[in-house]
Amino acid sequence: MTMTAMTMKMMRQTNSIAAWGLLGFFAVSLLTFSVDAGAHGERAQLASMRMRTLHWFDISVSPTRAKVGDTIVMTGKFIPSELWPEQLPSITDTVFLNIGTPGPKFIRVYSEVNGVPMIRSTAFEQSKVYEFKIVVRARIPGRYHIHPLLNVKDAGTLVGKGTWVEIEPSATAAAFTNEVTTLTGDTVDLESVGLKAVVGWHLVWIAMGVAFLVYWLTKPELFIPRYMRVRNLGPEQANAVITKRDFLVGGFFFTATMVLILGGYLWAEHRYPVTIPLQTGKVKVEGAPIPKGPLSVAVENANYELAGRSLTMRMNLTNHGDQPLSIKEFITANIRFLNGPVSGARVMEGEELVAGDSLHPSVSVIAPGQSIDVVLRAEDSLWETQRMTGLIYDPDSRFAGLLFYEDARGGRYYQEVGGPILPKFF
Amino acid sequence: MANIALPASKITDPAGYYDLSVLDNPSARRYYRRFDGILIVVLFSFLALGISIHYALTAGDWDYWIDWRDRRWWPLITPMSLMMFIAAFVYPIWKAFRLPIIATAVTTLLCLVSWVSRYFNFGQFTDFPMTFTFPSTYIGLGILLDCTLLLTRSLTASAFAGPFLFGALIWPINWPLFAAYKVPVEYSGTLVSLSDLMGYQYIRTTTPEYLRIIEESTLRTFGGSVTPLTAVFSAFVAVVTYSLFLLLGTAIYNLAGRYVRRIV
Repeated sequence: MTMTAMTMKMMRQTNSIAAWGLLGFFAVSLLTFSVDAGAHGERAQLASMRMRTLHWFDISVSPTRAKVGDTIVMTGKFIPSELWPEQLPSITDTVFLNIGTPGPKFIRVYSEVNGVPMIRSTAFEQSKVYEFKIVVRARIPGRYHIHPLLNVKDAGTLVGKGTWVEIEPSATAAAFTNEVTTLTGDTVDLESVGLKAVVGWHLVWIAMGVAFLVYWLTKPELFIPRYMRVRNLGPEQANAVITKRDFLVGGFFFTATMVLILGGYLWAEHRYPVTIPLQTGKVKVEGAPIPKGPLSVAVENANYELAGRSLTMRMNLTNHGDQPLSIKEFITANIRFLNGPVSGARVMEGEELVAGDSLHPSVSVIAPGQSIDVVLRAEDSLWETQRMTGLIYDPDSRFAGLLFYEDARGGRYYQEVGGPILPKFF
Repeated sequence: MANIALPASKITDPAGYYDLSVLDNPSARRYYRRFDGILIVVLFSFLALGISIHYALTAGDWDYWIDWRDRRWWPLITPMSLMMFIAAFVYPIWKAFRLPIIATAVTTLLCLVSWVSRYFNFGQFTDFPMTFTFPSTYIGLGILLDCTLLLTRSLTASAFAGPFLFGALIWPINWPLFAAYKVPVEYSGTLVSLSDLMGYQYIRTTTPEYLRIIEESTLRTFGGSVTPLTAVFSAFVAVVTYSLFLLLGTAIYNLAGRYVRRIV
């Protein structure tokens, strides 16, 4: 009888809450384990935290289909927000550029920020632009959702936009290898280096341990008889239960162990004469200033309308340039709100969280020299599905995002906007 | 059977001594052996489970990843963690049975459970290579600790000699396992060991590089002689930890002793 059949029978017989609970548990388990593990918890973070920590943009993953052993390159940019929450440990302390994958399905072969290799941790400045590149090599076949991410010391993980990547088995079906040449001139495979010695020495020590235990545990008298003898002998004489043979065996194991430890150490010193301690430390990377555009922006106020799932910003815009400017895009919490259809925007292959025709400025063009009050509305169901509606329940109700605009020649500019936000419940 | 079914008041004489003639009874000895077998399974299962949880909670990442096993913190944390558990059990088992087996049993069981966990959890389930997550070995140190107790036949003397050897030799006994992973590599213009490189390449989303608590350069490194100095300090730490938890084991044994004796 299957578990489901047993449960149904139980329900008929007892109609109990427990049986319904059991069925519910099976249903939830089935749903849980039958869908892709697509998220890395980014939606679990507070909306205001996601909006005011990092602004990821121009993230590209290529190719999105590859075979085991192939290289995949992820590039993009991020700006640490000027409105970084005071209560959160700062990004200016210690940070590590990482990549979100479900385990080591890939190996990371290279990563850099603004041209500086990111093997080690670093620190970033607020309101600076950082361009990153992560190169990975596919290791395990499957379909994976991969993200760029930053681990910020004592704050946690800040996740960038995810992209689905499909990895197929290699054409040769050969085992994955990861070879590297050491400074001593040896080429080793990190998938198997040193493992024979590890297993060999473990077997030696397990044999020693088991032999020692077997000697004691196979004694004719063990727990109860031994306890009785120890009790009868009393504390002063109890050591008499240990025989001369026990003593000799103990001496043998002690000597053999010391010899093995010394021999193993000398063997390792001879086999690997050049070794170094684990390496650590921070590297310094210079942030690039945000390119200064011809538009100055002053946010006057902002509302989040719960029923309409929209963020409305009222701002004063002044065009200091000689070209008319048009607002193209607003990015916050990895969501792109586009002024216009998706087809006309710079959308990367496999890019998610892009809402076409979702950004509505009250003015389409800001003429050169013009200073004008503009109402900008970002409206899409992604506010709901990405759990941004929680914004109104956050203890620190402020928002931030990147505003993108273009001039008539196609010049693309961006700058951070943000400030307090008030909810509208009705 | 009749002999061992006697009420407790008839097993001992008025002076509290056991009637050892019962040990000459083949039937009683057979039942005692069966009880020994059950007790071994129960005790060893408890020790295996206990040390696995205790070690995961107190030493955890230091033993999971080869790029955490440095020459300064790992040799301090590990014996401290193991001494707590081992010492608490040494006293009752020695006092009641004069069996010097706890350290060997705990380290051997930890080794076996760790291999199972690393292979299935880290290897098969999450695809980490075993080169990156293999367990360390402490069995030889457990044998030395038990043998010092056996050879000195003194809890006090062995509380100095045993943990001292345990702490001092934890790096040498593991060096044949670790050395291959401390070979230097130049990677993207940076000097790293193979361990560091594996930590970089095999992606751990929530275990960034800075999270490692490992040796960092300071002015107090005594001319770079970190390994021998750490060995001495580790030995000292192991002696102190062992002694404290031996006292804890003593207190628990004496407190619970009367109830255990009634059961036995």
